[in-house]
Amino acid sequence: MVSSSISNKRYTYIHESESEANREAIDIHHVIINGSRVTGYARLRWLAFFLVALAIIMYFLLGKDNPVRTLSWSCLLSGFFVMIQSRKFVKKESVIIMPTFGIQLETQYLSGKTVSMFIPIGKILKPVLVECVTPVTCYWSLSLFLRGEEQLTLVFKELRPTLKMLVPIWKALCAVIGTDQSEMMTEEEHVVAG
Amino acid sequence: MAEPKLRVLMVSDFFFPNFGGVENHIYYLSQCLLNLGHKVVVMTHAYGNRTGVRYMTGGLKVYYVPWRPFAMQNTFPTVYGTLPIVRTILKRERITVVHGHQAFSTLCHEALMHARTMGYRVVFTDHSLYGFADVGSIHMNKVLQFTLADIDQAICVSHTSKENTVLRSGLSPGKVFMIPNAVDTAMFKPADVRPSSDDVITIVVISRLVYRKGADLLVEVIPEVCRLYPNVRFVVGGDGPKHVRLEEMREKHSLQDRVEMLGAVPHSRVRSVLVTGHIFLNSSLTEAFCIAILEAASCGLLTVSTRVGGVPEVLPDDMVVLAEPDPDDMVRAIEKAISILPSINPEEMHNRMKKLYSWQDVAKRTEIVYDRALKCSNRNLLERLSRFLSCGAWAGKVFCMVMIIDYLLWRLLQFLQPDDDVEEAPDINFCN
Repeated sequence: MVSSSISNKRYTYIHESESEANREAIDIHHVIINGSRVTGYARLRWLAFFLVALAIIMYFLLGKDNPVRTLSWSCLLSGFFVMIQSRKFVKKESVIIMPTFGIQLETQYLSGKTVSMFIPIGKILKPVLVECVTPVTCYWSLSLFLRGEEQLTLVFKELRPTLKMLVPIWKALCAVIGTDQSEMMTEEEHVVAG
Repeated sequence: MAEPKLRVLMVSDFFFPNFGGVENHIYYLSQCLLNLGHKVVVMTHAYGNRTGVRYMTGGLKVYYVPWRPFAMQNTFPTVYGTLPIVRTILKRERITVVHGHQAFSTLCHEALMHARTMGYRVVFTDHSLYGFADVGSIHMNKVLQFTLADIDQAICVSHTSKENTVLRSGLSPGKVFMIPNAVDTAMFKPADVRPSSDDVITIVVISRLVYRKGADLLVEVIPEVCRLYPNVRFVVGGDGPKHVRLEEMREKHSLQDRVEMLGAVPHSRVRSVLVTGHIFLNSSLTEAFCIAILEAASCGLLTVSTRVGGVPEVLPDDMVVLAEPDPDDMVRAIEKAISILPSINPEEMHNRMKKLYSWQDVAKRTEIVYDRALKCSNRNLLERLSRFLSCGAWAGKVFCMVMIIDYLLWRLLQFLQPDDDVEEAPDINFCN
């Protein structure tokens, strides 16, 4: 198993390949949220449990006329809200490239739940690196042109890895689909230089 | 790939696919600056479904930020709402100079404010003339005073415009440069075979049919000219609220066969409309610099125009007949133009325009302004606040508060997302 990685403050990119020589080997690309952030999310979940527990204790132990008792409802609601939100936190996103077969996009949540999406190789027209602009920020994203679909399909639906992390995945996808890479050489040179 | 000399961010609410003088100015100036070896990025708001990053000719990168326009193609003035995206673009593209265009543009004012807060060099170009008396102008002038209080350099498109901007904003005249607009003479060439003026003389009008462009003057001038000269016909291109008045005039005086109404004319078709005529008529009531008369002169048309704003500065005396914005005087000017029409040589006029106005020259002069801006000393927050305090008894204090909050928000953004976390965009070389 050949492995390589790129890291920054926010994410760690890990590339796993069964063998570098064999082009038919399964190629796996992971983008993982760094440990400190995952720990932060875990702490948030504990906070949620604490808020819910505190709310229950306040409600049952304090007298009926106690004004603090009304606080228990806000604690309970905020606790449940944090719990619901924490279930949506993403731990890892992966791209599993199976030559001649297709690619599988996986999203692993902090709760342990994994959502997968398989795209057959014949459906992929072209992988593209796109600069996305929102009302408050700009970021790079890796998208796929799919046959018969108007909208681009995002490879990473939740995470926003850097261009340095996206380029190897884009190259791997191009190699599998047989797309010409020359049109993006300027970006690659920049990444290598950087 | 060689490192660009300067990295310029052009900011305005007005850019393609919208068409107009400001849009053209930004586009052509950017193209020429790219040719001079600078990196140019344009920031504007989204137009319909045109959002995100687009690349134009020569590798001009355009950020269509998904902020929707709310009035007159302007984004809603949020004051601080644009700070995160402006900061991100400035960092991503490693910008050195921020160049804002048009006093009407809220995006321009906000971007210049944020850029100054972050210590960038800023240049502002004013493309219009404004009054001093009406409520709208008073408000606009105060906003302009706020923006220009902390600017490095300013550019105006005519001497009249420069005078107007200095009076409105209280800016030092030494900081204001006059750089005129230009025309792409390659796009506006005279017809290969000039239409004969012996039997029919065609007068062309291309403008938005609004009050400011003097559409009401046209309603009075056209019937009178048609009465005096049976061999004169008019071609009117453009659309707007005054279109109905012109149609009524045509019906009233039975001029359907002599006044052709084209409706809205796309910019790509302007030249083909111009070359069908002999005289170009501009009836604007206010104009900082009229690009339309440059385009007409480049196509070899003799121009008749109102003597307003910066118009008298645009063309040499033998290429234009000026009149007061009064129907009788305009009719007299058209009479004079018809009499000197036989002496006009379109090819010669086109060649003179080529020498007089070129975007390359505009870009070189703008480059000098950028260099001047870069040489300006960087002032700290307290020095900058003292400038805002001098903007008025109450306004000064309000402006100071606005700037202090902007500074604090910028610091908060730096804490939440340090500069190192903003990913730099690679420079894509389109020349190869």
